[in-house]
Formats: sequence, C-alpha cells, structure tokens
Amino acid sequence: MTAQAALAVCSFILALIAAVTLSTLSVALARYASAADPIFLARDRRALKLLKDWLSPEQLACYERYSFFDVIGSDTGTRFRIHHGTQTNIEELGSNGRLVCKWCFGPDGNLAAGDVMLTQKIALETNERAALAVANRSYARPDRGAFHR
Amino acid sequence: MATQIVMDRTGDTRHTFDANNLAAVAKAERRFMELTGAGFTAATRTGPGEQRVIRSFDPTAEETLFYPRLVGG
Repeated sequence: MTAQAALAVCSFILALIAAVTLSTLSVALARYASAADPIFLARDRRALKLLKDWLSPEQLACYERYSFFDVIGSDTGTRFRIHHGTQTNIEELGSNGRLVCKWCFGPDGNLAAGDVMLTQKIALETNERAALAVANRSYARPDRGAFHR
Repeated sequence: MATQIVMDRTGDTRHTFDANNLAAVAKAERRFMELTGAGFTAATRTGPGEQRVIRSFDPTAEETLFYPRLVGG
C-alpha cells in the first residue's frame, strides 16, 4: 500500500514536471516564432523608421547610442526619459537628473515599439497633462531600488 | 504629394494625395474626420523633432500622423 502510494506520488510529480516543461517550451517557441516572423520584423522596422524620422537630431543620436531619448513636458517643463519598449518605459527625472518615478501609457492597440515611443514623445511634448492623466505611475523605493504602483 | 500616416498593427498605413486635386483633398479630409472621430490624434511636423497636434484638417501639411487614443499601461 505504501509502495503504491509512493508510486502514485512519483507519477504525479513526473506528470507535473512534464506538463510545466511542455508549457514553457511552447511559450518560448511561440515567442521565437513571432519574433522571427517576417511580418513582425517588417512592422518593427517600419515603426522604428517612422520614430527616427520624427526625432530631433539630439534625440536620435541619444536613442541610437543608448536606446533612450529625453523629451520635455509641454506643461511643466519636466524632463522625461523614454526608453526603447512599450510598457513602463518612461522615467520622470527630477531637476537633479535623478529618477522620480515611472509612467506607463501608450496608444491603444498592439503597436510596435517605435510607434509606441513616437506616440509617447508627441503626447508629452504637446499635451503632457492629458497624457499623464491616463497614465499609470510607479514610485521609486529608495530602500530597495524597486518600484511599486 | 501630401501623406497621411495612420499607425496600426502593421506599423503604419500611408495614404498619399495631391494637394492640388480637389477630389483627393476632399477624400483626405473625410479620412481625417473619420480617424479623429474614432479617437485618433492627428499631428504634423513643424521642424526637426518638433510637432503640433491639429484639430482640423490641414490640406497644406506635407505629413500628418494619426495615432490611436492613449490608454494607461
């Protein structure tokens, strides 16, 4: 009876491990497939080209070197740093250049990173208050160096 | 030729039109109204790295960009 119970437990654990492994593999495969999809690659390239066309020379130079660029908020003059990405990729910087908090907003829909960053730039540079009104904010935690909402 | 650039899941879709062609301009204006009515924001470039948001159709704008409404992430 004890041996049967042990066998059952072992079988269950093995089945669980197999299921988790298969699930992880399928997610990784799906991600790889979408990243290598020529349609997605073309979309990303087109969006990045559009972004670069609309950046100032200084912003473009910064983005190509560091994968981020700075914008100045139209209403408060606050400096924001937009990092390459689509989510929680905007840092608000204080007058000393230090991180104050992070912001997350973007265009509705599943758009490429270039399109998202261009939308964030235009929104902050032309109507900062309206953009931040819809955004989610994350605060810095000096004790841990992490963020929370 | 003027261009209307609409951000979408393909990156963007571009519509070019001759600003001297009245029918083409009317069609572009209809597109502008439809997109802004659907929540898109329209912006034109005013200089290197500079832009302004426009609320009404500008037939003289060489390039008008439309992006979807903003949402919190």
